[in-house]
Amino acid sequence: MASSSSSSAVTERRGIPGSQFVEDVQTYLNQLGLDVNSALAFLQERLQQYKVVEMKLLAQQRELQAKIPDIEKCLEVVATLQAKKGTGEELITDFEVSEGIYSRASIEETDSVCLWLGANVMLEYSLEEATALLQKNLDNARASLEVLVADLLFLRDQTTITQVTIARVYNWDVHQRRTQQVAATAIAQE
Amino acid sequence: MQQGGGSETEVTWEDQQNINKFGRLNNRLHELHDEIKIAKSFPEKHRLPPLKPPIPTASPLQTTPPYPPPVRHIPAAQREANDNLEDASNELILTDEEVVRFQIGEVFAHVPKDEVESRIEQMQEATSQKLEKLEEEKKSVVAQMSELKKILYGKFGESINLEED
Repeated sequence: MASSSSSSAVTERRGIPGSQFVEDVQTYLNQLGLDVNSALAFLQERLQQYKVVEMKLLAQQRELQAKIPDIEKCLEVVATLQAKKGTGEELITDFEVSEGIYSRASIEETDSVCLWLGANVMLEYSLEEATALLQKNLDNARASLEVLVADLLFLRDQTTITQVTIARVYNWDVHQRRTQQVAATAIAQE
Repeated sequence: MQQGGGSETEVTWEDQQNINKFGRLNNRLHELHDEIKIAKSFPEKHRLPPLKPPIPTASPLQTTPPYPPPVRHIPAAQREANDNLEDASNELILTDEEVVRFQIGEVFAHVPKDEVESRIEQMQEATSQKLEKLEEEKKSVVAQMSELKKILYGKFGESINLEED
């Protein structure tokens, strides 16, 4: 077995503390200066904290996963307008005025499109600029999602390590008691 | 993790890393299941019911063309699911309208039938490729998991539980 304990773990990733891998339970408890029960309580608390962070990250992930198709949709619309450019044709569309009510609009050849930037601001862009801006937003969103997914993977590892450690501390304790009991009965029999 | 066995098998960092890896793979497998389901056919319970055929108008005096059937917003994931694209292309063959309404973003653009046909074909192509990639990844994940199972069960036997409930 390779004992590569030194390379064992990243200590932290974007504010998420790493979980220490325990080589030997006895040494670990001595280091912490805790008995089995307090060590288990400590680990359980840590596990809870990881769960809270996981919830937060999962919510962020869902948000981004919804945002990406939205941006893609916008890009598709701009691309449609761009394709119509130079053909002299107008683009006829049915659009929703209010829920369930649709009206017809004809869009004449256009060079520009307005993008909703948020915070009650809408800005007119040329089709090229709009594409560039949307593409940049899309790239950013995808990059953040990637980082987020990596965060989640890291977090899951820490959760797993903590769970394994809890099981090991528990098992170690059971084993310890058993040996003590065997020893005690052996003494009593003497 | 099974508790209470009081097992004496030592857990090394290497074992821990294998367990972590197994956890990651298992998680990814679940994600893949969902993604594949969505790409194949959008889950039934989230689907909107099919449109009722328009009620034929009795009045022969009607001069304006019948009002187009109601239109609805359908989530992108559903629109791009393989089954739905197939439905769409079948409907397209049946219709005798030259211009159909094709949803782009939030609006329905009036697009010539031929163009819609080719667009749907492209979308079908993209979805099939995506599905293929997902299936491939699933295969590799399953293979890696069974490899890890062999190693971990080999070492820990009954003291470890790697099965889903």
